[in-house]
Amino acid sequence: MRSLRRILRTPLGIAAISLLALVLLTAIFAPILWGAQADAVDTDNILAGPSLEHPIGTDGLGRDLLLRTVVATRLSVVLALVATLVAVTAGLILGVAPFLLGRAGKVFTWLVGIAVAFPALLLALFFAVIFGTGWVGATWAIGLAGAPTFARLCQTLVAGIAERDFVSAARIGGVGRFRVLFRHVLPNIGEPLIVNATIGAGGALLSFAGLSFLGLGVQPPEYDWGRLMMDGLSGVYLNPLAALAPGVAVVIAGLAFNLTGEAAARSLGIGSVGVMSKLAALQPRRVAEASPPAPDEVLAVRDLHVTFPGGAGPITPVRGVDFTLRRGEVVGIVGESGSGKSLTALAIAQLIEEPGRVDAETLRFLGTDLRDGDHRRLLGTSLAMVFQDPMTSFNPAKRMGGQLAEVATQHHGMTRRQARARAVDRLAAVRIPDAEQRARQYPHEFSGGMRQRAMIGMGLMGSPKLIIADEPTTAVDVTVQRQVLSLLQAIRDQDEVAILFISHDVSVIAELCDRVLVMYAGRIVEDLPVAQLDQAQHPYTRALLAAVPDMQTDLDAPLATVPGRPVDPAHVPPGCAFAARCPLADAHCRVEDPQLVTSAPGARVACWHAGEPLPDPIAAPARDIEGTTQTGPTTRTSPTTRTSGVQVVV
Amino acid sequence: MTTTAALPAKGVPRAGDHRWLRFTARRAGRLVVSLWVLATAAFLMIHLIPGDPVRAALGPTASAELVAARRESLGLNDPLIVQYLNYLGGVLTGDFGVSIQSGLPVAETIAQRLPATASLAVLAFVFAVIVAIPVGVAVAVATRRGRGRKLELGFAGTSVFISAIPDFLLGVALVAVFGVSLGWLPIAGRSGPESYILPVIALSLGPAAVLARIVRVEMLTVLEADFVRTARAKRLPAWRIYLSHALPNAVTATLTLAGLLLSALVVGTVLVENVFAWPGLGSTIVSSIQLKDFPMAQATVLVYGAGVLIINTIVDAALAVLDPRTTVAED
Amino acid sequence: MSGLAFENVTVRFGSTAAVDDVTLTVPDGEVLGLVGESGSGKSTLARAAVGLVPVQGGRIVLDGEPIDVRHGRRPLQMVFQDPYSSLDPRMTIGASIAEILPRHLKRAARADEVARLLELVHLDPARAEAYPLQLSGGQRQRVAIARALAGRPEVLIADEITSALDVSIQGSILNLVRELQAELGLSMLFISHNLAVVRYVASRVAVMHRGRIVEEGPALDVLADPQDPYTRELLAAIPGRIPTSTDNQRSTP
Repeated sequence: MRSLRRILRTPLGIAAISLLALVLLTAIFAPILWGAQADAVDTDNILAGPSLEHPIGTDGLGRDLLLRTVVATRLSVVLALVATLVAVTAGLILGVAPFLLGRAGKVFTWLVGIAVAFPALLLALFFAVIFGTGWVGATWAIGLAGAPTFARLCQTLVAGIAERDFVSAARIGGVGRFRVLFRHVLPNIGEPLIVNATIGAGGALLSFAGLSFLGLGVQPPEYDWGRLMMDGLSGVYLNPLAALAPGVAVVIAGLAFNLTGEAAARSLGIGSVGVMSKLAALQPRRVAEASPPAPDEVLAVRDLHVTFPGGAGPITPVRGVDFTLRRGEVVGIVGESGSGKSLTALAIAQLIEEPGRVDAETLRFLGTDLRDGDHRRLLGTSLAMVFQDPMTSFNPAKRMGGQLAEVATQHHGMTRRQARARAVDRLAAVRIPDAEQRARQYPHEFSGGMRQRAMIGMGLMGSPKLIIADEPTTAVDVTVQRQVLSLLQAIRDQDEVAILFISHDVSVIAELCDRVLVMYAGRIVEDLPVAQLDQAQHPYTRALLAAVPDMQTDLDAPLATVPGRPVDPAHVPPGCAFAARCPLADAHCRVEDPQLVTSAPGARVACWHAGEPLPDPIAAPARDIEGTTQTGPTTRTSPTTRTSGVQVVV
Repeated sequence: MTTTAALPAKGVPRAGDHRWLRFTARRAGRLVVSLWVLATAAFLMIHLIPGDPVRAALGPTASAELVAARRESLGLNDPLIVQYLNYLGGVLTGDFGVSIQSGLPVAETIAQRLPATASLAVLAFVFAVIVAIPVGVAVAVATRRGRGRKLELGFAGTSVFISAIPDFLLGVALVAVFGVSLGWLPIAGRSGPESYILPVIALSLGPAAVLARIVRVEMLTVLEADFVRTARAKRLPAWRIYLSHALPNAVTATLTLAGLLLSALVVGTVLVENVFAWPGLGSTIVSSIQLKDFPMAQATVLVYGAGVLIINTIVDAALAVLDPRTTVAED
Repeated sequence: MSGLAFENVTVRFGSTAAVDDVTLTVPDGEVLGLVGESGSGKSTLARAAVGLVPVQGGRIVLDGEPIDVRHGRRPLQMVFQDPYSSLDPRMTIGASIAEILPRHLKRAARADEVARLLELVHLDPARAEAYPLQLSGGQRQRVAIARALAGRPEVLIADEITSALDVSIQGSILNLVRELQAELGLSMLFISHNLAVVRYVASRVAVMHRGRIVEEGPALDVLADPQDPYTRELLAAIPGRIPTSTDNQRSTP
């Protein structure tokens, strides 16, 4: 099995599976080899302590305890496995019932909801009353006691799959509920179910030992570990080992199951072993300051790089970004997934955490070199951040007013009362009605648009010279977007605040910004004033503009398309990264990466064929135009590339 | 595309507002319903047993007249509905019937032995929480984002190992080491404060290890949340980010699991009491099952179950206080 | 092909009406664009049409008759927004498409049909054995369209099918939609929050707000001269267009 091999790749997996194999082999062969010996009564040697002949001692009938412990493996393990089977089967039936029965299945959900609150041991005792003592009754008891947990797990897993679009598509396509269950739902919940069943077997083993220890499980003449422990406990003063040895066996076997389950769970995810050593091999780059700051410069960035460790070597999603921002300037960065625009913003704001690394020749904010030191105060007062998702960007457990006030108490030395007053004032400044009352509310009581405005308000607690907004309007409606954009414009007009605005939407940038930087594959490919967008020279910029329909798009012509897919930061090709998708690309382009050069006053472009006329767009392609040159899926909104367990948001 | 409607600014909620009243009423209602289901299950427990419960309790040698007399006195000859209603009435008035074995009222025995179990459970829970939360938080902060790999491995290994040891085995080990070999601490019965030490450790160590792991995982998850990034963007000092922003949210997530742990701990007293000859309900329930003393077994199951349900309700209430979203989500 | 009509349809969740007394018609062989913001109810309306949510009031008819589900055939099919959720990750794309084909087809005929459908959406038929994991978002959307067409639908519902795709890929999907509509004469309900996209594909437009239809008519009329204040607000909110050389919007810094 593919999964088995994956599990065996990690040290944990190897240890766990070996241990499990040992336990299972003992279970199978021990009774065959030593079964008779373990039952050999020796009345001369009753309750003997440890000796060479009997390493653990003997029991009340003189039988060797070590052999009995080893032989008991079979019964203990088999009973645990049978009980687990009962639990999983019952749980599966109860768990899929709501899916199959619809409304009628709700009673199952309700019942399971109540039953799952009770610990397994209590349920086992409950069923033990009904089924009586002995291994049969105990197996039913423990099995049924484990059913509610599995039922709840199945219900959750099934519900998760059932709401996925492909299940809806199958139902719309006329596939019946049973077929959907067997073809779509069960295969997709199989893995987590088996993993949990393995862990459950460990739990059943412990439960069985417990019941037998209480005398309610296995009865003589049969014996399992719990029974042996119970017998040993009565003689604990004379020979403690007699009670402890079976217990150790329980722990080993329980660990074998639990660790196997956990190792399986882990290898179904992503491993990041051995990553840190690769990052250590990267050399930091520190180059002396080159250009002196201009008088009204707010932000200066030269040769910015952001690097993350990856499974197959370091990944550099931002590969050399240069630009400058002056007071009151509004600059937009536009790009698709893999362009590195969000990471650029985070890097400038000093929000990239280990194991990511930021290197730059120049990274200057208001004249201060950001590369060394903390600059908490400067950044806390003069830089404001607005993030993409208004729903998750505020602490759900704190009131809004307090979250704004924190900035003032921390960085402006205000008292709590002063800070509160300021927070209310700022909320009003961003046009939130009833600011006084709203400040006492929690984030979930605000609408998405209000939260975004509150985020801006939080940035205005000080007097920021720069606002960095990372896709602030992507997750909100278009009418709300208009409010946020006009608010940003008002702030810029009033206080000459510089704004760095990141977006994938060119029209939003055209609306708000003075200048736009077009990013592709971690580099700026064009830098030009918004008023001159129609004179863009880079083929990517032109393709991007032509591909987006607006209210004046010619309805008779097909939309321009850009063949291929955006670049995966982990696999950047040599030469110009856009060459694979560019109609003007030639051999030179694929070998040498063009640098940013001035193409017109106030404009730069990085292309060997800047400004050349493009061929006519292909009207009706015969085959799939996306090709298979790059691997990996890409989406636009908030895309994340999973690289070795480190989330890289571009 | 996620624009949620804003909740009205007028009527900003405070404790004692309509929303809280509704939540409390709803939660209390749920508790009552669950208790009723529990009581019904306990009632059915007896009647699902194959064969004659009284005969099973008194043994094959008891005379037929005695069995018949006992059946009559236990009301087992009445129609099922009558028995059920009598039973419910008894439960509500605190009358759990009479033990088949001893002939004494069950409620008396329970009242006598409950404090021992309850005190043990509460102490063990407090101990587990006091140990687990600081350890979990500290390890989380120290092992963020690939740092402290050795610490992470050590912590994971230790906690996995400890939680793999069942509480009764731990109890036996503690008895063997501290009681028998070293003789420092009492190992049987409930006498003074020292007699609590070993049982509490046996009962709480496993759950503490599990809880510490959960706290660590939740803390790490919360530390990656968007609002923590916002807090960092506000350039708040690290301790404030961890304790004032991250921890409360991590605790909320841990609370539900902590409730389950506490319930398991309460039931774990059954095993640990057995090891330490503790005079609580644990030994009562075991002997009542072995001796087939069904009224006693029924009542102890009921008491344990009710305890679990009450714990869950308390946890829900604590969650509602800590996380302001829960009261709204249920509207 | 046929006309889909919603007659006084109401869908409630709890006490709120997500769809409130909606009357709407998708004319035979035409594309109706349904525009609205989040919470407008447009997706709920679509899901009601395909039977994924129950309808509390009114009815949904096809060619005057209530929608008939005979032998598992569904005359309405839907393409969803999220390309990563719309295909079963454990089934090959060929199998996902084949699942929707009419039951009576034999194996060879099925394979041929799957190949034909893949060609129709401009995907290489040899990729029928590929898993969704190996395809990009745009390619998955094409597979989703092919699967919807496999059901030989009379009406196709497209629910924000380009919103989750990169800008440079959106264009190709929209071109495909126009092409298929022209070739097959499909009736289509095209849902989007983006007015510019709707203008590009639809001949008629309906605007939805808080569960109600506030305006409806030919696309060019509604978008050039809206009557309803909400429609006007929506149009005004569209971010500025990319300047052409004849404009003089901002001075160069």
